Amino acid sequence: MTSPKNMNARERARLAAEQAAARKRDQRILIAAIAAFVVVVVAGGILFQAWRTNRSPAAAPSTSASASPVTISNGQPLVLGSAEAPTTITLYEDFHCPHCAEFEEEFGPVITQAQESGAARVELYPMSFIDEGSVTAANAMACAAEAGFGQAYYLGLFANHTLQWSDPQLIDLATKAGGSPSEAFKTCVTRKAHADWVSSMNAAADKNSVVQTPTMLINGKPVDIANLTPESLKAMIASASRR
Amino acid sequence: MSASAAAEPRFAAAARWISTGARLVLGGVFIVAGALKVIDPQSSVAAVRAYRLLPSSLETMVGWGLPFAEIALGLLLLAGIATRVVAVATAILLLVFIFAVASAWVRGLSIDCGCFGGGGEVAPGQTAYGAELLRDVGLLLLALWLVWQPRSRLALDGFGNARDQPHGERRSRESGAMNEA
Repeated sequence: MTSPKNMNARERARLAAEQAAARKRDQRILIAAIAAFVVVVVAGGILFQAWRTNRSPAAAPSTSASASPVTISNGQPLVLGSAEAPTTITLYEDFHCPHCAEFEEEFGPVITQAQESGAARVELYPMSFIDEGSVTAANAMACAAEAGFGQAYYLGLFANHTLQWSDPQLIDLATKAGGSPSEAFKTCVTRKAHADWVSSMNAAADKNSVVQTPTMLINGKPVDIANLTPESLKAMIASASRR
Repeated sequence: MSASAAAEPRFAAAARWISTGARLVLGGVFIVAGALKVIDPQSSVAAVRAYRLLPSSLETMVGWGLPFAEIALGLLLLAGIATRVVAVATAILLLVFIFAVASAWVRGLSIDCGCFGGGGEVAPGQTAYGAELLRDVGLLLLALWLVWQPRSRLALDGFGNARDQPHGERRSRESGAMNEA
């Protein structure tokens, strides 16, 4: 006959062991659940970014800036706007540089307006140091300028700067920026026709000691972008054009 | 009963509030750091590439996925779920960051750590490795504190951090923590 005391002790030990096992199991389940949560968030995030960078571009903002075709020659920037404009705005930008996209969002309208009114033209040095998309976008930008819709294409590239810029996306953007693109434009994009010019832009920026993007000069004078407002930029362009 | 429960050591009470602060700071920093990178997938990949540590096939995955891992860990820290386990994962991630930044410094690369978005190459005089490492080590200390003292106020935590408590007491704490949260 076992005494109640003994039974209690054994019972208690059994209970404690059961509880310990249950706790251990609960903890394993919790760790698995947390690992699963992190994995799901990360996998979902990767899919989200894949979708975000591979979708087709949104429509480009419309512009009435001059659409005359430009000639592409190595080391020479793209000229967007009237050749007679009194003021030259020089821009060094990478189509995938986030600060360039912010710059465009804030100051792009002022610059576009100056181009449209004939007050200024833009000399564009598209640089390509962020990734492969910087290179394909810079090449397509040259193709578009050559075909005469450089200005609209430029705005479209920045309006869709989160895209990775595959060939189909770049051709799709042309449809939205300049009407149906010619076969010549498509070939220009897929064959990377201006690859040499694109690398000549990086070299030109190096030669001109440009160390960051965006870099802006008005009539050759560097502008301090950090302290710039759209109003002060407007005033700068106006005073540069009066001289 | 009572002796241990009533006269709860002062240290334990203070430690719980310190742990709450550590959770909120660490979680907040991770969520902000992740979100700033999620906004800009290209820069995030470029920032990873600038370290020149991974094969190119992995750079995109890490550039896209890592920010979401930071956000997930940050959310778990803020909520206070399985704090010790999450703190261990956070500490490991911080060790990886510290290793990556230190290796960039040692190899003489000129890059921004890209810890809060941006990243990539910078001019040789523009690096801030010392400050970046100091910040990461500070965050690592917070994470290690949480590994040591995972129990905290305002947390959803039920267990995984109370194994050393007698069972009955653990129960009451657990429900108490649930109510607070």
